[in-house]
Amino acid sequence: MAENTEPRIGVFVCHCGHNIAGSVDVERVAKAAESFPNVVYSTHEMFMCSDAGQALIREKVREKNLNRVVVASCSPRMHEPTFRRVVEEAGLNRYLFEQVNLREHVSWCHMREPEKATEKAIDLVRMSVARAAQLEHLPVKTVKVLPRTLVVGGGIAGLRAACDIADRGFEVVLVERQSKLGGHVAKWTHLFPADESGWQVIAPLLRNVTRHPLIKVLTDSQVVGFEGYIGNFVARVKNLKTGKEESYEVGTVIVATGFEPFKPYGYYGYGESKDIVTLAELQELRPREDLLRPSDGKPVKKLVFIGCVGSREPGKPGHEHCSRHCCSAVAKAASDLRDRVDEVLILYQDIRTYGRGHEELYRLARSKHVIYSKFPRDNKPEVTVTKSGKIRVTWHDVLSGDDMMYEPDMLVLASAMVPPPDAADVSKLFSLTRSGDGFFNPEHIKLAPLTTHTAGVMIAGAAQAAKNASESVIDASGAAAKAVGLMARGEVEIESTVSHVISELCSSCRTCVTACPYGAISMDNSRDPPVALVTEAKCHGCGTCAAACPSSAIVMYHSTDQQIMAMVEAFLCTPTAVAGGGGS
Amino acid sequence: MTTPEKSSDDQQKWEPRIVAFCCNWCSYAGADLAGTSRIQYPPNARIIRVNCTGRISPDFILAPLEMGADGVLVSGCHPGDCHYTSGNLKLRARWALLESAIEQAGIDPRRIRLQWASASEAQIFADGVRMFTEQVRRLGPMRRVWR
Repeated sequence: MAENTEPRIGVFVCHCGHNIAGSVDVERVAKAAESFPNVVYSTHEMFMCSDAGQALIREKVREKNLNRVVVASCSPRMHEPTFRRVVEEAGLNRYLFEQVNLREHVSWCHMREPEKATEKAIDLVRMSVARAAQLEHLPVKTVKVLPRTLVVGGGIAGLRAACDIADRGFEVVLVERQSKLGGHVAKWTHLFPADESGWQVIAPLLRNVTRHPLIKVLTDSQVVGFEGYIGNFVARVKNLKTGKEESYEVGTVIVATGFEPFKPYGYYGYGESKDIVTLAELQELRPREDLLRPSDGKPVKKLVFIGCVGSREPGKPGHEHCSRHCCSAVAKAASDLRDRVDEVLILYQDIRTYGRGHEELYRLARSKHVIYSKFPRDNKPEVTVTKSGKIRVTWHDVLSGDDMMYEPDMLVLASAMVPPPDAADVSKLFSLTRSGDGFFNPEHIKLAPLTTHTAGVMIAGAAQAAKNASESVIDASGAAAKAVGLMARGEVEIESTVSHVISELCSSCRTCVTACPYGAISMDNSRDPPVALVTEAKCHGCGTCAAACPSSAIVMYHSTDQQIMAMVEAFLCTPTAVAGGGGS
Repeated sequence: MTTPEKSSDDQQKWEPRIVAFCCNWCSYAGADLAGTSRIQYPPNARIIRVNCTGRISPDFILAPLEMGADGVLVSGCHPGDCHYTSGNLKLRARWALLESAIEQAGIDPRRIRLQWASASEAQIFADGVRMFTEQVRRLGPMRRVWR
């Protein structure tokens, strides 16, 4: 325990190559830090997260007998776990580490103001040094992980994840809102790149899931309540038909709630004619020899596809993203149908057949004389439906520079993948954040794409972003591996950053009891008068109680009033600041 | 050099000093994304990370103003989008009281700002900092005025 000894702080300023050092004078920052209270060592290094940087921290902790470490580098949301591990290897408690965000919060957003960026960096380091001096040793706690996973969503991603987990010997509770498993994929007649129907792909998975002794399938069901913490969640599942609710204890969760095919009302005459359909609707038509018009059942001779319908629209919330599957799916559908109709046109903004085997589909379509015509982004095609029911498409062809007109028998709109309407409810239930387009955010876009900021909850498939079936399956297996990893270990470390009531100071007002969003605080009636008591396992560490307590009786570990005020003071009450900012 | 010139020089050099509290899950991440997206905004705010805006007690706003901060910014998750379900609502409830309290203490309530910026709203975060910095700049260095 280092509480009673004087703080001996080491400051390590990272160049991050040119990322920080390009706008911030890191040498000056390190030099300035030498004079800050309790700092016994300060240096700068090219990459603090590299092996050399980590070794430097370990070496200096021993050599200089440091008991606090401040690293000024990137966002703690990125490398805090890395450096916490490093200080632990050096024999320090992980909570005696403090990180300063010089990259995301300074160098990258003040690139043209190196002087002011450097001043800001020095201030931030001074603030973190002040906080570091106040940091306390906290115990590292572990909890057991229940060997059972809740999989939410019975589409292709949910099914794959359930199989993987059960095959590894862990129990699965699979919850699907619909009466049938299989999701969108089960309904589709043709999948790309291989020529299989959705059912052919889903059927073996489905057989495996329904027969597996370790998988409990709950259809017509919805998760309506969710509480607990990593390894020990309780999910309340409601049967939508009977209205009955049942609770399940699970250790990990995979959210695979998928997407919804956008119904493009207001685009290209959708809804005005039965012969204007989305790509998903085309896929759901009964497979047969020739393509028939939905309106009158006559064979289709002339067919048009329009791409990017409700996708890639800058400035339109929920529709700014590329839906990724459509270019390849359209190429595949067009080349299939080209054999059955006289002419197929694809009107596109750009073509992105990026995946394995997808470019071949584009070439196949071309070789079958499917006509591709590019329209400008700011001048989209126009579709009118005449009184007699004829569809007329007019557009500007970019490559020839000509205005074109065509009257197809049927028009297919490659509409966007958007989050389901209740994605907001799901995000609230599992405390997930969402991207601008409404999909669930991963913990880190590159380094942790399947885990989320709710420890123990993974995301997979189109719930995370628009993607095709194969990519969803890759996600699902990845998320399953993450869940299995936690369960196989059997126990995991949890944050010790919980709140604590100093019972001597408690005035029994119960303000904290009502302030806590998790019901983690109750009154200890065995005491007279009763005092507030925190159930640590239920505490998520938001600190709302500490802010609400009128008696300052609640300590929020690792985010104490003293630690926060030390930062404020270090910023505002430095000798130089007082001299410079003096005025009436 | 004459004294008046010097003081106008000082006026020129004066930069608003702003304490910013960001919640870890939304606005701190939004500020990270602003950096990753290379969105440029004024370097006046010093961000202090808290787990939730619900952690912010009235003291965290009043003490910096007392210590001479020119402005205090709080940025958190949108109402209904809180990582801890409702911490931001608790802060919002405190905020109305805070605004009137600081006014009574002779501090212009435009020196404090509460904004919502999610993890994906880097531009909204940066615009908020820019707007607030300019607002505080117009108000001038921290001083108390009783009306």
